Amino acid sequence: MSKFKKGGKKGIPGVNTSALPDIIFMLLFFFMVATTMKEVELQVTLEKPVANQAIPIEDKDNVDFIYIGFPIDAEEGTEPRIQLDDRLAPDYTVVSLWKEQKAREGKTPFDIVTSLKVDENVGMRIVSNVKEELRDIDAIKINYSADQTK
Amino acid sequence: MARREVGEINAGSMADIAFLLLIFFLVTTTMEVDAGIGRQLPLKLDQPINDEQIDINERNVLEIMANSNDDLLVEGKFIEIDELYDIVMDFYTVNKVAKDQDVNMPNYSKVDVSTCATEISKYKEALVKDPENKVLKSELGKWETKMVLCQSLDEKSYMEMNKQAVIQLKNQAGTSYGLYIEIQNILKQVVNELRVKACEDLDFPDYFELREDREEDQEYIAKLRVLVPERIIEAKINR
Repeated sequence: MSKFKKGGKKGIPGVNTSALPDIIFMLLFFFMVATTMKEVELQVTLEKPVANQAIPIEDKDNVDFIYIGFPIDAEEGTEPRIQLDDRLAPDYTVVSLWKEQKAREGKTPFDIVTSLKVDENVGMRIVSNVKEELRDIDAIKINYSADQTK
Repeated sequence: MARREVGEINAGSMADIAFLLLIFFLVTTTMEVDAGIGRQLPLKLDQPINDEQIDINERNVLEIMANSNDDLLVEGKFIEIDELYDIVMDFYTVNKVAKDQDVNMPNYSKVDVSTCATEISKYKEALVKDPENKVLKSELGKWETKMVLCQSLDEKSYMEMNKQAVIQLKNQAGTSYGLYIEIQNILKQVVNELRVKACEDLDFPDYFELREDREEDQEYIAKLRVLVPERIIEAKINR
């Protein structure tokens, strides 16, 4: 007599799925940690320049972003425009007012970095104007946003 | 009294809930990191410096101009962008070891403890007469840092780049931002490399680990700024 049964019914055992939630949770946590929510809906083109010396911004809560690029909406014309939060600014003179409104508790405009996210095809005139506006209110810490690699 | 059985919670739909969340985060995730080149704009002075016209030696100014056609002119000569690195590097280093190796680039001079002491007393005296003068205050602060630096070095002195040495960036209204960032990137690269080297020579912590908001790092940063100054002047484009 053989010890091994022969001819017994060979059912395929069901896959144990009790570990599935764990796997899914692991993935979930990974994405939760890695996620940065989109701050704004971009209304201007933004082809960022490349700079290998660019350093990641660490304290993102203390950074204001100014977007400059060509308007995506054709009705807004073809001249480069400034986007502050979710709106296109009529011109550069509102930048200082906007920056002052963004002041946080216990912080002056001086403490809060302004990150300029500018399309690489935009001319320097508008960038220069924005920088002068920021200088007027002592918001002199700026950051030229750029990609580290292509 | 009969013991009530605690009913088991059905965890079968847990996976579904987790999936739902997972898909939400999958969709909203953008993996890009915000990176950039940090710069500090010059402060607006309350009153212009009304000293007699300061004589600026031309060798101390490196003029980089980018015109509306994205042509690059350095000291009046057309160059390609990949030549800029060597020129800026020369600007910083060519005269550091050998005096006047290139007479068109800024010279270096020796600063030791006694020079610092005389300068500090000079500015302190001036500040007594004019206690609110921002320029004098910042000069005094600079010399105090230099004093600390000198004292911390073995030879009690260091070679300082000419105080007027400056990189002047000129743009035109039509200069593309891309070119501007390329120039800024090269300037940053040169300064970073020189400061990394200075950190190694002086047994400082890793340059890229230094943080301005950490108190113990501030002294290192101040010293590095003296050793490898980063002075960029940008001409304003007319509004």
